[in-house]
Amino acid sequence: MIEIRNITKVYGERRAVDGVSFSVSKGEILGFLGPNGAGKTTTMRILTGFVPPTSGSARVAGFDVQDDPIEVKKRIGYLPEHPPLYHEMLVRPFLDFVATIRGVPRAQIKARVDRALERCGLTPVAGRLIGLLSKGYQQRVGLAQAILHEPDVLILDEPTVGLDPSQIREIRDLIRSFSGEHTVILSTHILAEVTMTCSRVLIINEGRIAADETLEALAARGSRTRQVAVRLARAKDGVEAEFRAITGVTSVTRSDGKPGAYIIEIDGDRDPSEEIAARAVGQGWGLVEMRPITLSLEEIFIRIIRGEAA
Amino acid sequence: MRNTLAIAWREIRTYFSSPLAYVVIGVFLALNGYIFWVSLWRFSEICLRYGNSPYIFQQLNVNDMVIRPMFGSMGIIFLLMIPVVTMRLLAEERRSGTAELLFTCPVTSGQVVFGKYLGAAFLLMVMIGVTLSYPLLILNSGAHPDMKPTLVGYFGVFLMGLSFLGIGLLISSLTDNQIVAAVGAFGAFLMLWVINWVADSATVTLAGVMNLLTAGLWERLHFGLGGPTLGDLLNRISIFEHFQDFRKGLLDSQHVVFYASVIFLSLFLTQRVVESRRWR
Repeated sequence: MIEIRNITKVYGERRAVDGVSFSVSKGEILGFLGPNGAGKTTTMRILTGFVPPTSGSARVAGFDVQDDPIEVKKRIGYLPEHPPLYHEMLVRPFLDFVATIRGVPRAQIKARVDRALERCGLTPVAGRLIGLLSKGYQQRVGLAQAILHEPDVLILDEPTVGLDPSQIREIRDLIRSFSGEHTVILSTHILAEVTMTCSRVLIINEGRIAADETLEALAARGSRTRQVAVRLARAKDGVEAEFRAITGVTSVTRSDGKPGAYIIEIDGDRDPSEEIAARAVGQGWGLVEMRPITLSLEEIFIRIIRGEAA
Repeated sequence: MRNTLAIAWREIRTYFSSPLAYVVIGVFLALNGYIFWVSLWRFSEICLRYGNSPYIFQQLNVNDMVIRPMFGSMGIIFLLMIPVVTMRLLAEERRSGTAELLFTCPVTSGQVVFGKYLGAAFLLMVMIGVTLSYPLLILNSGAHPDMKPTLVGYFGVFLMGLSFLGIGLLISSLTDNQIVAAVGAFGAFLMLWVINWVADSATVTLAGVMNLLTAGLWERLHFGLGGPTLGDLLNRISIFEHFQDFRKGLLDSQHVVFYASVIFLSLFLTQRVVESRRWR
């Protein structure tokens, strides 16, 4: 559905996006994750045809963003970071206007606007002035504006910013309801948002893609054991050397705080946990605790952003 | 076309749902009404004074003494009012971020520019249209204004206003700041107004200027040093100069072509500016 090839965007001296390539298939919900200023918004703006890329190409539903901008824009619903609203307009006339310029046939406008109002929970405020609505409602008007024409591709730039927890939940449910029919790209810097709504994660940092995998694969990175914590009741002097002799163990450090606690770093495909246990028991050190240290998604994310192996 | 009209209609709604349209139209009508009333009062005074000398009375004409000054004042009020009408058109769109909505919708930048222009043109039409009631009001009085030259004058005022709107829109596309757009437009209008004030003393010919620029090469190539003067050129590009014949009730196609060219050129440049700003 979406195919981005080697896109670069240079603003003056700064490379906002630097050689990004990825593709999204129909019905997928892609989480676009990265710290502030990583290039998420710029990538999305290129995809929607708002800014042209310095080099590279983007295609939506087979149409090139540069060559057939109108065909691409017909298929996209876009909610920018700051919802683009005319504050002096009422909610319904605003949505009527957007439906018209999005190319919704005149006869269907009323039905589509009604549906979008209902899906976004805006029916009670349809006659209110947009400028007087709360931030949460304004965000919903922005979302309603993006889904009005039932686009194939929905691009949402930080859709839950500024909302209260129950509103965030409603918006997430709404986004989830688009999976299957619509292709969704959702940018955020909140990790929890990705785990709750997306099937695939793309982590972008300093304009480059740092990771592109399914949520399960990302989580699996963390459960691959790299460290084992061990606590012994009767630790002796030779403990470190003894553990280091096991193949697959790279280093053993005494962990601070508790007496007899060690952190064993392991490397390679072989999992030496069983051997570590046998050695400890065989030497009579009194093994009281042994657990693999796994990484949470949060820690994986931070490690990827820092460019460390996770 | 549907997109253009939708954008124009939204623009009109915005004008008329804010105080802006009412203030602009109200001030325009108040000033014009005052000037019209004063001219009419003076006219009737003169008519009374010369009522018993038929020769002078024959020369008195309501078109010359009441309606023509009204058109002149409209031009000056445009100078101050049109920047207020055009300043927010594109500048505000950029500042508030709604440009991101318009330019990610399946509409072309030409449709956006033309739609906005039509919206502003509608406001201008309302503004001028209401003042038509002034001459109509005295149509059945003893003054007997001649409606044909009056309507030609209205056509000229409308064309001049449309040219100002085009230039104002162009300046609004260059900035994100409404005040900058308004001051810039005001400056441009004023410049186009005063540009021919020196026309009478600018007697140097254009060929002479070319000769100076090419360090005498022009003359040596026997292109000649005669022809139109710089002053003629300045008269040609002065927006008010082209309005003078309309004021007198003369419909001359060269002036219509001039205004049409100004409108076309400014809209074309606006579209180019909007398009080029995406690349920054």
